[in-house]
Amino acid sequence: MTDKPLPTPDRDSAPYWDGVAAGELRLQRCTDCGAWRWPARTICNRCRSFAAEWVKASGLGTVLSWIRTHQLFIRSFQDDIPYVTVEVQLDEQDDIRLIGQMADPRLEPRIGQRVQAECTRDPALVVWRPID
Amino acid sequence: MTFDLVDKAAIAGIGYTAFSKNSGVSTLTLALRAIKAALDDAGLDPALVDGVGTHRVGDSVPTAVVAQALGVSDPRWFVDHFGGGGSSHSVVGQAALAVASGVADYVVCYRAINSRSEFRMGGTGRAPVEAIETQYQAPYGYVAPPQQYAMVAQAYMHRYGVTERHLGAVAMTERNYAALNDRAMLRTPFTYEEYLASRWVAEPFRLLDCCLETDAAIAVVICRAEAARDLCKPPVLIRAAAWGGGQMLFSNQQPAPGTSSAARMAPRLFRMAALTPADVDLAMLYDCFTVAVPLQLEDYGFCAKGEGGEFVLSGATAPGGSLPVNTHGGFLSEGYVHGWNHIAEAVSQLRGEAGERQVPGAQIALSTGAPGYVGGVSSALLLRRGT
Repeated sequence: MTDKPLPTPDRDSAPYWDGVAAGELRLQRCTDCGAWRWPARTICNRCRSFAAEWVKASGLGTVLSWIRTHQLFIRSFQDDIPYVTVEVQLDEQDDIRLIGQMADPRLEPRIGQRVQAECTRDPALVVWRPID
Repeated sequence: MTFDLVDKAAIAGIGYTAFSKNSGVSTLTLALRAIKAALDDAGLDPALVDGVGTHRVGDSVPTAVVAQALGVSDPRWFVDHFGGGGSSHSVVGQAALAVASGVADYVVCYRAINSRSEFRMGGTGRAPVEAIETQYQAPYGYVAPPQQYAMVAQAYMHRYGVTERHLGAVAMTERNYAALNDRAMLRTPFTYEEYLASRWVAEPFRLLDCCLETDAAIAVVICRAEAARDLCKPPVLIRAAAWGGGQMLFSNQQPAPGTSSAARMAPRLFRMAALTPADVDLAMLYDCFTVAVPLQLEDYGFCAKGEGGEFVLSGATAPGGSLPVNTHGGFLSEGYVHGWNHIAEAVSQLRGEAGERQVPGAQIALSTGAPGYVGGVSSALLLRRGT
C-alpha cells in the first residue's frame, strides 16, 4: 500500500532531509562548542550559539529501545503490520536519539545492538542495519 | 524558603459528565455540563465565576467560547494551554496561583474531550497532533502514544528487570478498584492469564496495558481556602503544585532511559508542601499505560528506582495496601480524561465521599500529570483534606 507519510521538511530541518536524499546522515554541529543538535534547530542548547554546520555523521549507533506495532495507527502501514520501530543512540553524542526502522522491519533487534545508518531512496529515509 | 501558595487555594467543587465511547454532543456541551455540575457541587452562583482554564491539543473548545457561553464576558484570568496530559495538573496549579494572589476569585478549570468518537490519538480518525518531531517519526509508522510509551517501557524494563508480570499487576489492581466504582467504564476483574491473552497493541504493550479512549469532561472549582469554607463541600486544600520538564523523547538533554520529568519535579513538589512521600495516604498516578505507574512510584520516591513493579506486585497499591493508587480504576479502567479524573478522585477521597473504595482517614493525596515523555513536561498536585 502506498501513500505512507513522507517527511515534511521545515525551514530548520530542510538540510537534514537534503542530506538523506543525497544518501548521507548529516547532523547539525555547533561551530562554537562542538555539541551536536537534535532535532534540527538554530540555537545550541549548551552554549546558546546560533553558529552551526551540517556535518556527515558516522551513522554508527546502538539500539536503545524497540517496539513492535500490531495495531494499525496509519492506514498506509496496513501491509507492514506487525513492524518494528527502533530508537537508536548515535555514537556522536549520547543524547542524540533517532526513531527509525531496521533495514528489515520484521527483524527483532536487541537492546544494545550495534547498527549502521543507511539511506533509502523513494522515499528518502534512514534505516538501520545490524553490524554485530 | 517558604512558599506563599501552600494551603492558600482550595478545590471547592468537582463535576463530571458521563463517561462514554460516544457522547453525541460537542466538547463545548461536555465542558458546560461538567462546569455546571462542579458549580452545583460547590453551591456556587455561576455569576461569581471570573476565571476559566483548560489545556488541549487541538481537540477541544477554546476557553473564550466556554467563558462566553457561561456569561463570563470579562474573565479576570484565563489559561488556554496547548498541551496534553503533562499539562493537566499545571492548569489547576496556575488557577491556585491566580486565586491566591487575588487576580481572580472563583475559577473553573476543565478538560472536555470526545477522545473516542471525534479525536482519537495517533492518526486514526484525524491527523497526528502537530509536533516538531512528527516529520522525523511518522514516515517510520511511529505516531501514537502507545508506541511512544512502549518505547519507554521496553528500555525501562530491560534496564531494571521489570516484566510483564509487573505490568499485568498494575492493570489487574486498577480493575479491582474499578469494580468498586459505578462510574468506571470497565468493571470486571480479570486474571493474569487473561491479561497475557489480550492482544498486542505495540509490544511490550497489550490491550490491557492501554488506557481507555473516552468521551467525557471533568471540571473543578478553585477559590481561596477561606472562601471555600463558605461553600457547600469540605474544602480540599492545594498543599503544593509543581511544574517540571526536560524529559522529552525526542530532543537533546534526555536523561538515561527509565527516568522521567517527574523525577526532577518531585523534590520541588514535596519541598513546597513540607511533606515527604511517607506522608501521602493515596496517589493518583497518571496511567496512560501501565508502565507509567511503576515509573512514577519510583520517581516520586515511594520506592527505590527499579522497584516500582515489585511494589505493585506486593499489593502495596491495592485496596488495604500502604499506598492505594488509582482508587477509581485509573485511566485503564475508569476512563481517560487526560489527568482530570485523577484530580476529581483525589478530591472525592479527601472528602470521604468515595463510597466502597474509600481509603479510611485519607488526609494527603498526590495527583500527577503525564510524566513528561511525549510533551516534555509534567505537573502534579499535593492535596490536603481541609477543615
